[in-house]
Amino acid sequence: MQKIADMAALMECNQVLHALVLFIDNEIEDQNEVQTFESHLAQCPPCLREMEHERAVLNRMKNLLSNECCEPAPDELHERIAKQTALLASQMFSPTQIITEYRRTETTINGETLIEIETTHEIRRDFPLS
Amino acid sequence: MSSEIEVRTPAGALATENIVDRTARFERDAMQYTNQLFAAAMRYTKNPHDAQDLVQDTYAKAFTSFHQFEPGTNLKAWLYRILTTTFINTYRKDQRRPLISDGEVEDWQLAASASHTSDQGKSAEDEVLENLPDGDVKRALHEIPEEFRLAVFYADVEGYSYKEIADILGIPAGTVMSRLHRGRKLLRTLLADYAKDRGYGGSDGM
Repeated sequence: MQKIADMAALMECNQVLHALVLFIDNEIEDQNEVQTFESHLAQCPPCLREMEHERAVLNRMKNLLSNECCEPAPDELHERIAKQTALLASQMFSPTQIITEYRRTETTINGETLIEIETTHEIRRDFPLS
Repeated sequence: MSSEIEVRTPAGALATENIVDRTARFERDAMQYTNQLFAAAMRYTKNPHDAQDLVQDTYAKAFTSFHQFEPGTNLKAWLYRILTTTFINTYRKDQRRPLISDGEVEDWQLAASASHTSDQGKSAEDEVLENLPDGDVKRALHEIPEEFRLAVFYADVEGYSYKEIADILGIPAGTVMSRLHRGRKLLRTLLADYAKDRGYGGSDGM
């Protein structure tokens, strides 16, 4: 019976270790699960040490990464984007055009000629593709 | 001369915003993120020349679809999502996808975290991180495969949740989780390797 209890304790450690990073990342949504996690950590010094170590390493990595992955955009890029935006805006700001089309149809049957003239008006305005 | 553009608000009501107002709103709200978008683009392209082009293309797409952005939601994350699709469409068209499948990543993760780390391993890792010279972390980040690098960047530099990263990268949250964990482990292993080359932090405990 003692063996089974030992195994249960061991299994719990394994489960905690597997999900340790989810706990540190605050990604465990089920609050009961978070509580079970915390109560295990409170009773199990090796898991607590593991959690504290992982959290410290992760925080250190986050600081290092944040300090090194923050290259500012070159001035040139700011200028390019400002120009591009102005250009795109002017293209979108297009006047309304009215386009009129005429179609003339001549039909001759038995020497008699029929002339038809069709007129169409189209209101045309450019819209940006999105 | 009329140049009004129809904007669908989240409530479904039809509002109008002329292009002058829209441009002003874009300049005020979206263009403040140029530096952050450039830093993110550096993680995608790994060189400043392509990163500049990528950010410029991203802003072009963002401007022409700015009427689709829902005010009140996260604008920076919306821009990151456009950055990702622009990168995939422009820069990765004929490159092969990385070869590691997510299934393998899960297995690796389970195997790697099944026991407590020794105290020796912990102090070796602390020593590595204490003595890291400038530039090592960025070098290591650029050495790991793109899909892991981006998950690490969005989680550990930008501080996004798994769900937000899933949205930005267009992948399931479970995939974010496995890529993030794998990416972090790869980073730590690389940093330990660099340290070993310099003659400290010599334990394999990481």
